[in-house]
Amino acid sequence: MRPAQAIHNWQADQKADPNMPEQKPQYVSAFRALSGYIKPHIWAFVGVFFCTLIAILSDLLQPFLMKIAIDDNLMAGKNDYRGLLIICAVYLGLSVSSFAFTYVQNNLLQHIGQSIVSRIRKQLFGHIMKQSMRYFDRMSSGSLITHVSSDTEALNQFFNQVLLSLFRDGLTLIFIIVMMFQLDTTLALYCLILLPIIAIIAIAFRSFMRATYQLARTRLSRMVAFVAENLSGMNLVQVFHQQKEQQKQFNERNGLYFKANLREIRTNVLFGRTFDILSNLSIALVTWIGGNAVLGQNLEFGVLYAFITYIRQFFQPINTITQQWNTLQSATVAVTRIWTVFESKPDVTDRESGRPALTPEKVKGRIDFDRISFSYEEGVPIIRELDLHIRPGELIGVVGTTGAGKSSLISLLCRFYDVLDGRVRIDGTDVRDIPQAELHRVVGLVQQEPYLYSGSIVDNVRMFDESISREEVIEACKFVGADAIIQRLKQGYDTHLSERGSGLSAGERQMISFARIIVFKPKVLILDEASANLDSQTEQLIQNALHVVSRNRTTIVIAHRLSTIMQADRIIVMSRGEIVEQGSHHQLLERGGHYRELYEHSQGHVAV
Amino acid sequence: MKSKRLLTDFFRKTWYIYAFSLSFHLISNLINVFYPKVLGEFTDSLQLGELTRAIIIDYSVLLLLIGVGHVLFNGAAMYLVMYVGRKFEFIVRGGLFRHFTQMSERFYSKNGVGKLLSYFMNDVTAVRESISMGFNQTANATMLFIAAITMMLASGIPYYLILASVLPLLFIPFIVVYLGPIIRKRSLEVQEALGKMTETAEEQFGGIRVTKKFAVEGIMQHRFGRTVDQIRHNQLRLVRVSSFFQALIPFLGTIALIIALAFGGYLTITKHITLGNFVALTLYVRMLMNPLQQIGNVINSIQRSRASLHRLDELLSQQSDIVELDNAKAIDLSAGGIRVRDLSFSYGKSSHQVLKNIDLDIKPGTTLGIIGRTGSGKTTLMKLLLRTYDPPPGAILYGDTDVRELTLESLRSQIAYVPQDGFLFSTTIRENIAFFKRDTEMKKVESAARNAQIYNNIADLPNSFETRLGERGLTLSGGQRQRTSLARGLIKNAPVMILDDSVSAVDAVTEKDIIESIQKERKGKTTIIIAHRISAIKHADEIVVLDEGVIVQRGTHAELLLEEQGLYATLHAIQEEGSQHATGTSHS
Repeated sequence: MRPAQAIHNWQADQKADPNMPEQKPQYVSAFRALSGYIKPHIWAFVGVFFCTLIAILSDLLQPFLMKIAIDDNLMAGKNDYRGLLIICAVYLGLSVSSFAFTYVQNNLLQHIGQSIVSRIRKQLFGHIMKQSMRYFDRMSSGSLITHVSSDTEALNQFFNQVLLSLFRDGLTLIFIIVMMFQLDTTLALYCLILLPIIAIIAIAFRSFMRATYQLARTRLSRMVAFVAENLSGMNLVQVFHQQKEQQKQFNERNGLYFKANLREIRTNVLFGRTFDILSNLSIALVTWIGGNAVLGQNLEFGVLYAFITYIRQFFQPINTITQQWNTLQSATVAVTRIWTVFESKPDVTDRESGRPALTPEKVKGRIDFDRISFSYEEGVPIIRELDLHIRPGELIGVVGTTGAGKSSLISLLCRFYDVLDGRVRIDGTDVRDIPQAELHRVVGLVQQEPYLYSGSIVDNVRMFDESISREEVIEACKFVGADAIIQRLKQGYDTHLSERGSGLSAGERQMISFARIIVFKPKVLILDEASANLDSQTEQLIQNALHVVSRNRTTIVIAHRLSTIMQADRIIVMSRGEIVEQGSHHQLLERGGHYRELYEHSQGHVAV
Repeated sequence: MKSKRLLTDFFRKTWYIYAFSLSFHLISNLINVFYPKVLGEFTDSLQLGELTRAIIIDYSVLLLLIGVGHVLFNGAAMYLVMYVGRKFEFIVRGGLFRHFTQMSERFYSKNGVGKLLSYFMNDVTAVRESISMGFNQTANATMLFIAAITMMLASGIPYYLILASVLPLLFIPFIVVYLGPIIRKRSLEVQEALGKMTETAEEQFGGIRVTKKFAVEGIMQHRFGRTVDQIRHNQLRLVRVSSFFQALIPFLGTIALIIALAFGGYLTITKHITLGNFVALTLYVRMLMNPLQQIGNVINSIQRSRASLHRLDELLSQQSDIVELDNAKAIDLSAGGIRVRDLSFSYGKSSHQVLKNIDLDIKPGTTLGIIGRTGSGKTTLMKLLLRTYDPPPGAILYGDTDVRELTLESLRSQIAYVPQDGFLFSTTIRENIAFFKRDTEMKKVESAARNAQIYNNIADLPNSFETRLGERGLTLSGGQRQRTSLARGLIKNAPVMILDDSVSAVDAVTEKDIIESIQKERKGKTTIIIAHRISAIKHADEIVVLDEGVIVQRGTHAELLLEEQGLYATLHAIQEEGSQHATGTSHS
């Protein structure tokens, strides 16, 4: 699975937020936070514990049983075959139960882990969706995705691997030690001396291995990124005749990755062999000490046999547990990060209003901006004491250079943010007194770059709301003039769209979002016009659609091309957060101010 | 790398490393199988009461030597083969990349980046795994198996006892071969479900404004919840098989041990074998469990990698359809003009003609403007001029030479091309602009940036021209990308320049400035500008209007406007609609 993983990692790295600080794991607080989720499953955990206990018994008792067989049944003179058969039967019983309980234990633990993780995933997603726009401005969407997918996956691995190993290998280890003491205290004490040595070597190697692994991973992901990019830009490489130069750069990355790999192999082989040698050394040691003891008749040979087998079994669980250390660390960091997300509160909230809010159906569409001020950061005002009153059904065009505050103005009307000063009212009601869900139904927005969800055209128009029928959707598309375009597609209204590669042009995407407006019937419509140049024909289509959609609605158009708004009832010219001119197209042209300048630029009439 | 025998070639070069590795595996296992035998003999001498302190030390040292010897040889054998495997990966990836750089656009239109990356990553790795880990495990397991059986027979353990005890273990490879693919499939399903969830989250966070605006958070949350449930479902489905598998293998091992215990014990009691042999037998049985499981794994991975190898061989044997002739010429493009003679072109045999009977004569040093709607064939014409697709013989001539008879280097190093999408590489802005020659001096880079009206934007960036693009965050807007890409074209100062709708995402004012500086920079050099906005081409010496692959009009801006029924005048009317309103003829 590693290659696919590599591509995945590379993609994740692309998305990851560079500003996300490296966090130190805070074990206590992280697991206190988790405990709330674990508590409901406490009995299941107890079940897992007992299953594990039974499951490992057969493996652990095997040397012990062999010892009995050797010492009591097989050693010279004690030829007791019945006894041997009984041991066989006991062993068989143990292994059957081990088989069954291993199965149950694995499934049970996974079940608990998955329940907890999927609950956290859903809650986390819901929590993020509830945040206000300011939150989404601050957090890159990449880091949010990391929280929802990678961080929760790290948590899943905690249940999947760490807990499983802690249960199984931890118990095994304890069991082996107990058995050793049971068999012979002196020999067991000798063996215990080994324990810290093994642990130290294992841990030291682990961190070293992790470093080499990380190095290889980073270099791999750089190489993949390089190749992916060159594949997409290959025509440029060829047209600029840069094949040799790019090959040279690729070879460099490939070589670095190769070297990192060799280092990883060396470390792995070295670690594995050191561990093996240590294991063999201990066996030799036990043979020597134990052999002498047998010679002095202090020890039965069967005990020695059992010891040798136990020593061999001793290394496996220690190795596995140390392997889990890294997973534990990343899981802890993940939990901390997830809980940081849970702690954030949305800064735009619904007021506990005693007043009756608006009824969406009865809204007339009067909009008042009463001397509003707004800024994203303190001290950098975006909008200053702006006063604007819009009659129901009016078509308003807003123009101005980038940074004039046009987009902020509509964000305030949508209440993506709250004003600093003044108020925004719809039909006389402050938007802060309208529950957000209702406000959003009243005010519709067609964005500059329409967003498509992965799903059919029908679902995209009705936003997956199945209470809206297919017929309504088709009706709406016909209304805005998108029907002809959609009919031309192979699968018509069932064509699958997605944000990437929808096969629709920018203009056609705009049409889909116009249809959305028709279906959802907001009383106020905001159109943030696409800034990219459209095909002349498509532009015409959009003009027509806008004309149809703005009927009986208060409409605000943020225009990048003046042709769109020349027919507006009123044109607002904004500059530095203030309204500097307003009036109809002709009035403004006659005034010879900002608007006239903009207009002439767009016509290419500027004197050189 | 062109041959279809990727692996054979590789083995021919590295066979001796494999031979070394194999002999190390053999030695290592020959040593290893002495371990149970020594312990067995130890038992016997103990039972016979022959044990002395000196003998105990001998045995301990012997056991240690066996352990260390086995480990060292095994380590060496593994390292050699793993090294070779990585070397394979290194060589094949280098070859793949070279192959990729040679393939033409037709190849890329058929194979997406994702598919090609999967060759590059998944297939190469799959082959590498079976020729390194696969080899190691097979060699190790086979050697161990043979050595162990031989050793048991040599120690006088009867063959029927060995057979009975080992029998359950022989099932292991079959079980692995049967269950392995099922587990793999289910685990892929888990990965897919995870990917799906990530995608959904990505989509939701990207479209958060829209979701909020239509107040459909609930619906979207439900959609996301479904993907989460799918992961859970798939994961539990996986664990049902994988835990069965994990429990089954040790179970078979214990069954083998029980047989050894019961049958071997009986034979010990009846004095057919010694207690030492009995002890050795149980140890051998334990020893064989792991290698047999590995053999199963290897069989699975070899099956997968055979398919991968086949895919790689096939990929590498594909030839580019753009081939340089053996006697291709290098000529100076600035001397002659460009002529297009009765050019018709379609992308495939059965697909419709994208260009029909195009005739063009571009005199050296002039500017040609091409306008037309989306799908009119403008970009195809450019591709043929650049020979990223092959035009029919004799259709495109540079000077008097057919484009197909030119060396690719002389053609492409003398044409500056500015694509529509403004594709930039994840490297510094400087390297992006100086893409044609990375060590171009800074002054030229800056002046190209100035001409493309991007200098100020770059100067505002934290590291100015040394700012790295792409990696971790920093991105330019569409218009900025287009202008940087324009600078990349301008800096070449080439005899011919092709602009493919290169200023479409730039605002009207900047567009005007850019056109002016292009006019100035390209004075006396051939320039071809494609656009769908008239403002970008109206200064051209000649303008052709393409519609559905045919030149429907040609002339200068002024001439074309006079043809009132023509497409050009219509486009002009739509684009400059405002001027009609301005004259006050429409509604108030």
